[in-house]
Amino acid sequence: MKQKGQGRLGWLFASPYLVYAVVFFAIPLIWSLFLSFTDWNLIAPTFNFTGFSNYIEAVKSPGVQAAFFVTFKFMFLFVPLVIASSIVVALIIHGLPKFKGLFLIGFFLPYLASGVVSSLIIKGILSYNSPINEFLRKTLGLDIDWLGNPFAALFVVALIIAWKFTGYYALILTSGFESISKEVYEAAMIDGVNPWQRFWKITFPLLYPALFTVMILSIGVTFGIFTEVYQLTGGGPNYATNTWQMEIFAKAFTNLQAGYASAIAIIASIVTFISIFIIRKLLEMWGKRNGWA
Amino acid sequence: MDGRKKKGLFFRYLIAVILLLIMIFPYIYMVLTSFADWDQVDKKLIPTDFTLKSYQWLLGGGEAVIPRPWLHAFFNSFVVSAGSTLLMMVSGVMVAYALAKIPFKGRDTINNFILFQMFFPAIILLIPTFLVIQRIGMYDSYWGMILPKALSLWAVFMYANFFKAIPDTFIEAAKLDGANDFQILFKIVLPMSKSITTVIFLFLFMERWTELLWDMLVTKSDSMLTLNVLLSQMFGPYGGYPGPMYAASVLLTMPIIIIFLIFSKKFQEGMQFTLK
Amino acid sequence: MKIKKVASIMFAASLTVSGLAGCSTGNDSKSSTTSKNGETTIEFWAAPNPTQQVYWKEIADEFTKENPKIKVKVSPMKESPTSEASIQSAIAGKSAPTMSENINRGFAAQLAESKALVPLDTLDGWDKVKSDRNMDNTMKGWEFSDGHQYVLPIYSNAMLFGWRLDILKELGYNEPPKTYSEMLDVTKKLKAKFPDKYVWAKADIADPTAWKRWFDFFMLYNAASGGNKFIEGSEFTADDKAGESVLTFVNDLREEKGLLTRQAKDPFESGLGIFTDIGPWTIAYWKEKFPNMKWNETYTLATPPVPDGMDTSNVSTFSDTKGIVVYASATKEQQKAAMKFIDWVYSNPENDLKWLEKTSLPPARDDLTTNDSFTEFFEKNPALKPYAAAVPNAIPPMDNAKYNDLQTLIGQQAFNPVVKGEKDPKTAWEDMKKAIEGALK
Repeated sequence: MKQKGQGRLGWLFASPYLVYAVVFFAIPLIWSLFLSFTDWNLIAPTFNFTGFSNYIEAVKSPGVQAAFFVTFKFMFLFVPLVIASSIVVALIIHGLPKFKGLFLIGFFLPYLASGVVSSLIIKGILSYNSPINEFLRKTLGLDIDWLGNPFAALFVVALIIAWKFTGYYALILTSGFESISKEVYEAAMIDGVNPWQRFWKITFPLLYPALFTVMILSIGVTFGIFTEVYQLTGGGPNYATNTWQMEIFAKAFTNLQAGYASAIAIIASIVTFISIFIIRKLLEMWGKRNGWA
Repeated sequence: MDGRKKKGLFFRYLIAVILLLIMIFPYIYMVLTSFADWDQVDKKLIPTDFTLKSYQWLLGGGEAVIPRPWLHAFFNSFVVSAGSTLLMMVSGVMVAYALAKIPFKGRDTINNFILFQMFFPAIILLIPTFLVIQRIGMYDSYWGMILPKALSLWAVFMYANFFKAIPDTFIEAAKLDGANDFQILFKIVLPMSKSITTVIFLFLFMERWTELLWDMLVTKSDSMLTLNVLLSQMFGPYGGYPGPMYAASVLLTMPIIIIFLIFSKKFQEGMQFTLK
Repeated sequence: MKIKKVASIMFAASLTVSGLAGCSTGNDSKSSTTSKNGETTIEFWAAPNPTQQVYWKEIADEFTKENPKIKVKVSPMKESPTSEASIQSAIAGKSAPTMSENINRGFAAQLAESKALVPLDTLDGWDKVKSDRNMDNTMKGWEFSDGHQYVLPIYSNAMLFGWRLDILKELGYNEPPKTYSEMLDVTKKLKAKFPDKYVWAKADIADPTAWKRWFDFFMLYNAASGGNKFIEGSEFTADDKAGESVLTFVNDLREEKGLLTRQAKDPFESGLGIFTDIGPWTIAYWKEKFPNMKWNETYTLATPPVPDGMDTSNVSTFSDTKGIVVYASATKEQQKAAMKFIDWVYSNPENDLKWLEKTSLPPARDDLTTNDSFTEFFEKNPALKPYAAAVPNAIPPMDNAKYNDLQTLIGQQAFNPVVKGEKDPKTAWEDMKKAIEGALK
C-alpha cells in the first residue's frame, strides 16, 4: 500500500528527467539514426534513402580520418600537460599556511573564461607582428608560425584549454592532498625517504583517486572541443586541428549535408564511447596493478 | 633551521604569486587592452596610453559602422543563463531526491540510464535537437535556447550523491510530523545543501553563459543574440577593430567573475564536499 | 511492467511533441505575414556589412511612406560562421525571411536546387525591373542552367590589387608592375632593400576556406586565362596552361620569400606587405581607421598581374557580385510585395546612386559608365574610378551548386600547398583537376 504511493511519488519527482530524456535524447537519437541513411540537406522538400553510403563516404573522407587522429593526438598533448600543470599548482598551493583559498580562487578564474574570449586574446598575442613574436624574431631569431604549423596549432589549442582547466583540476587535486595525513609524511621523514621517493611512494598513490577523476575528466574534454578550434584555426592547417565537433558542424551547417553529418556524428559517438570505455578500463587496471586503487 | 623554513615559505609564496600572475595575465591583458589607445592594441603587452574610445565605439558605433545591440545581447545572455540555470537546479533537485530518498520500482533503471546518458557523446544529438526545437516552434526564441538545457545530468548526479549522505532519520522524523515529500525537499533537505547548491549553481551558470554552438544555431534575429554569439560574429566583419572586441570581451567576462567572487567563500566550502 | 511504464510515458511525451509540432506549422506563416486589413509585412535581410544595413533601412522607410500597405522589416543577416550558413539554418528552422540580399551565384544555385528560391522570372513585373534598371545584358550572364533567373544582382564589383605606392617609389618604381617577371623583379628589389617586408602578406592564401579563393586564385586565374570559365555546367573547363602559370608564379614568389602566410595585424596598412586584394569597402574603412592611407600617395590600385607576353590592358579579374533573392517559403502576397519593392527601388537610378555613395559598390547595370549620374560620382571619387573601369572585364563566380566543395579543393589541392611550398605547381594542378573532376561526377 505504502509502496504503491511511494512509486507514484518517485515517478512524479523523476518526471522532469523522463520528459527530458524522451524529448532531448530518445527522439533526437532515433532521428539522427534515420537522417544518417538519407541525403537530406535540412532545407529541400524531399530526400532519398541512400543506405550506408553516408557511412562509407565518411570513413573514406580526409576530414573524418583527421578528426579521429586529431582527437588522440590532442589527448596525448593536452592530458599530460594539464595534469602536470595542475599537480604543480596543487603542490604549491597545498603547503601554504595562509591565503590558500585566495590562491585557489585565483587559479580557478581561467575556468570562467569563454572560449571565444580566450581565442580572441590568443589571436592577438600570436599575430605575426605582436609584441611577443616581434621579440622572438628580433632577439632570439625565432619565427614560429603558431597557427599555420600543424603541430604548433594543435599545441596552441591544447595550451589554451589546459590554461582553462588547470585551476579547476588543481582544486580537485588539493582536496586529494588534504586526505593525506601528516602522520604518514612524518613516518616517512623518520625513515629517511628523499622528496622524490616521497612523491612517488606516498603522495602519488594516496593522490591516485583524485588523479583518476582528473584524468577521466580531461580525457572527456578532448572529445568535445569546438569553440577554440572554430575561432582560431577553423580545423586547419590541412585538418591538423579538425575535431569531431568541427567536422560535424562544418558538414551540417556550412556544407548543408545534414544526412552525411549525422552519419559522422554517429561514428564520432561510437568512437568516443569505445575510447573512453577502454581508457577507463586501462586506467583502472593500471591503478589496481600498482595497488593504488 | 627556523630561518630556512621561513625562506622556503617565502619562495613558495613567490612562486605561487608568479604562477598566478601568468595564469591570469590574459585577463589583465584583456582589461588593459580594452582601455588602450588604438595604436597600442595588440602592439604592447602592457599598454601605456589609455582611452575610452573602444567602449564608446562598441556602444555608439563608428563613422562607417552602426552600433550592434551589445547591451541587449547582454540582457539576453542574462535571461537565457538565469532561466536555464534555474530550471536545471529545480529539475536536478527533484530528480536527485527521487533517486536518493524515494524507494520506488524503476529507480535503478533510471539511475543506470542517467549514468549511460552522462557518458553518451552529445554531438550526435546536435542536428536532430535543432529539428525538434524547430518543430515545436521554438526556433529563434528564448525557450529554444533554454529548454534543451533545462536539465543537467551532472547536477542530478551531484545532488543525488549529496542527498544520499543525509540520514534517513531526518526525513522520517519530518514525515511523522506530517510533512509531505515536497515540503521535506524544500524545507529540510535543500537548506542543508546550501554549499553544494552554490557550487552547482556557479558551474551551471558559467557553462550556460559561455555556450556558443547551440545558441549560434538556434537563433537568427538580432533581438535574440547572446553576448557570446555576438562577440563570435564580430570576429569577421570587425576584425579590423580589435579594441572594441576586447571591450566586448570584458563585458562578457566580468559579470561571471563578479558573481563568482561574490560566492567564492561558499564555493570553497561546497567544493570540499563535492570532492570527497 | 517496468518497461511498459517507460514505454507508455515515452509514447505520451512523443505525442505531445508531435502535437505541438502540428500547431507550430500553422503559426509560422502567420507570424511573418500578419496581413491585417490588407497590410503585408515583408522581411528583408541585409548583408552583415553595416553600411548596407543603413542603406536598406533608409530605402525601406521611404518605400513604406509611399506604399503604406507594405511594411518592409530590415534586419542584418547573421554570420555564423558565414551568412550562407545562417540563411540555411533559418530556412531549416522554417523562418526564412521574405527576401535577402548578399547572395552569390553558387549559393543561389545550391538553394535553387533545394527549391528554396522563387524563380524571379515567374513573378509579375520581372521584365519591367530588368528594363527599368537597364540591365538586360547583365541578366543574360545570370541565367541558371534550368533557364530561370533566381538572383537580381545588386552590384558587380571588380576586385583589384592594391599596391603600396610609397614603398614602390622607394624601390625606384613609379607604378605597379604588370607582368609576372616584373613583379618578381619588384620582389627581389624589395627583399634586397627591406628583408623584413614581403610582397604579399596575407594569411588567407594558406587557408582552404572556399570563398577565400575568390580573392586570390580567381583574380590571378581570370587574368591569366583572359576570363576563361573554370566550370561550365558540370564540366571542368579550366585552361590548364593559365592555371599552371598562376601556380608557378605563386611558387616563384614564395621562392623569392615574397609571401607571408602568417596571421598578422594590418599587414598592408603597416607596410609589412605591399600587395593585397582591395575592394571598394576597404577605402571607407581606411577613412576611419587609417587616415594615412592616401590614394596615389601611399597606395594605388591595379588589375592583377599577367603572365609575360600577355596584353596588359583590359586585364580580366574576379567580380565579387551579389544580389537579391526571394525565398520560396514566402506567401504569394509577400512575393508580390517583394517584387513591388524591388521594382520601386530599381526604377529610380537615384537609389542606385545612393547605394554607390553609401557602399562604394558599383551597381550591376548596363549603363554604369554611360549614365551621367554615375560618371559624376566617379569624377568626385578618383580612388573608386579604377573599379568602374574594370567592370567590363570582371568575371562573376561559378554558378555550380557544389561551388563550396570545388573551391575548397582548389585551395586544398593546389593553391595552399603551393603557397606553402609543399607541392610543385604542376602536380598541384593535376591533383586539383583530378579531385574536381571526381567531385563533379
